[in-house]
Parts: sequence; C-alpha cells; structure tokens
Amino acid sequence: MNRGKLYLILISACITGYSWLAINFYNNAFIESNKLGGCLIKSITSIPCPSCGSTRAVLSFLKGDFSDSLFWNPIGIILIVIMVVTPIWILFDLVFKKSSLYNFYHHTELFLKRKWIVIISILLVLLNWIWNINKGL
Amino acid sequence: MEAQKVDMFIMANGKFFESHYVGQIRDRLMQLDDSKWLVIQTLQFKDPTTILIVSLLAGSLGIDRFMIGDTGMGVGKLLTCGGFGIWAIIDWFMIMGATRDKNMQKLQLYL
Repeated sequence: MNRGKLYLILISACITGYSWLAINFYNNAFIESNKLGGCLIKSITSIPCPSCGSTRAVLSFLKGDFSDSLFWNPIGIILIVIMVVTPIWILFDLVFKKSSLYNFYHHTELFLKRKWIVIISILLVLLNWIWNINKGL
Repeated sequence: MEAQKVDMFIMANGKFFESHYVGQIRDRLMQLDDSKWLVIQTLQFKDPTTILIVSLLAGSLGIDRFMIGDTGMGVGKLLTCGGFGIWAIIDWFMIMGATRDKNMQKLQLYL
C-alpha cells in the first residue's frame, strides 16, 4: 500500500467515524442504546462483539463522563485518540510534504507483529469481549 | 532457470497470483539464477479461498486482514466492528485480490 492510498483510507474512515458520531449524538443513542445498528455480529447473533459499545463510550467521553466511558468500552478511548490525532497528522504531512504518518504506520505494524505483543493483545481483546457479553451491551 | 522448473512453479502456484502477473512472473523466473530455486520453491503463499472463508466467518473481527499480514487494517476492522459492518462486507469481495497482492509482494522479495 502506498502513502496516498493509506491517507485516503484513513481520511474516509475519519469522515465516516465523525458522521456516525454526529448521527448518534443528535439521535441521542442512549435512549435506544440497544437498537444501535452498525455491527454485523450483533445484528445476526445478538451477541455483542469486542468493540460494541465504543460509540456510547465516545459519546460519554464527549459529555465528560469519563468513568462511564471506560465502563461502556475501553476501546472507545483508543478510538478517540486515533480520531483526534489522525486528521491533524495527515494535515501536517500534506502541508510539509512528509510521510511521517506512513512511516509510523509501518513501524506500528511491525511492532504489533511481535509474538508477546500478539499474545497480550489477543488476551486483552478476549477479556474485553467476555466483559462486553457480561454487561449485556 | 530451466523452463521446466519455471512451468512447474507456475502450475503449482499460479492460483496464488493475479492472472495478469503470471506472465511477468514467468519471465522473471526464467532470468533468475538456479541457486535461488530452492528458496523460491519452499515459499509458502496464502490461499485466497481460505482467506475468503475466514473473511465470511470472522471478517467483522478483522481476522482475515491479520492472516494476510495487513495488521494495521486488521486493527482498524477489529476496533470498529468491521467498519460498522460495511467494510466487512466490502472485504468479502476485496480480500481475494488483497491476498494475491500480498503473495506477489512476498515473491517479489526474491525475484
């Protein structure tokens, strides 16, 4: 994958993410929290997936309920960081004609492929999944 | 390399690459030194059909992308419920091409 393609994917992902947030913000997702669509696994099997609840986590964070945000789904915090940092970083790269985000992406990919990182992250995701099912998201 | 060896490789591994690359691969292999034959022969490629099955079953968790070594995209799919389900469905159609691309990248390291 080249730099342009990666940035295009990231920008479209960010735009989709922000529009999804806006829709759920104005529809007040909390009132009908169990009717939130958007997850294939949950719509088919009615079992929540590891990242279900992250929209509610981000919305709680925006309202300032940080403990609520962590309760809904800790993945929400990661998503907030990515969604805030990525557009700024891409803008920086485009203005100064660098490819620092592209290089960072490749370094992160290599880092995530290390054996102990893989084992720890699989365990964390599984634990989060079990917690999600227990919470009944 | 001998034409017989190259054709054997193409027959065994042709399905792992985009069809329009096969001719190019054949030409490059013919020019290649015989000493690299052993390495090329022992390369393991990902089967697009297997990855498609994984994508159909566990695409929302990004496992298909992890399997072909596209870790960044895999994490993206995992954290967003398969891109709100849309990306997971798009990948049912894209993943075979992506797998063949990754196979080509792997082979190109040795060509």
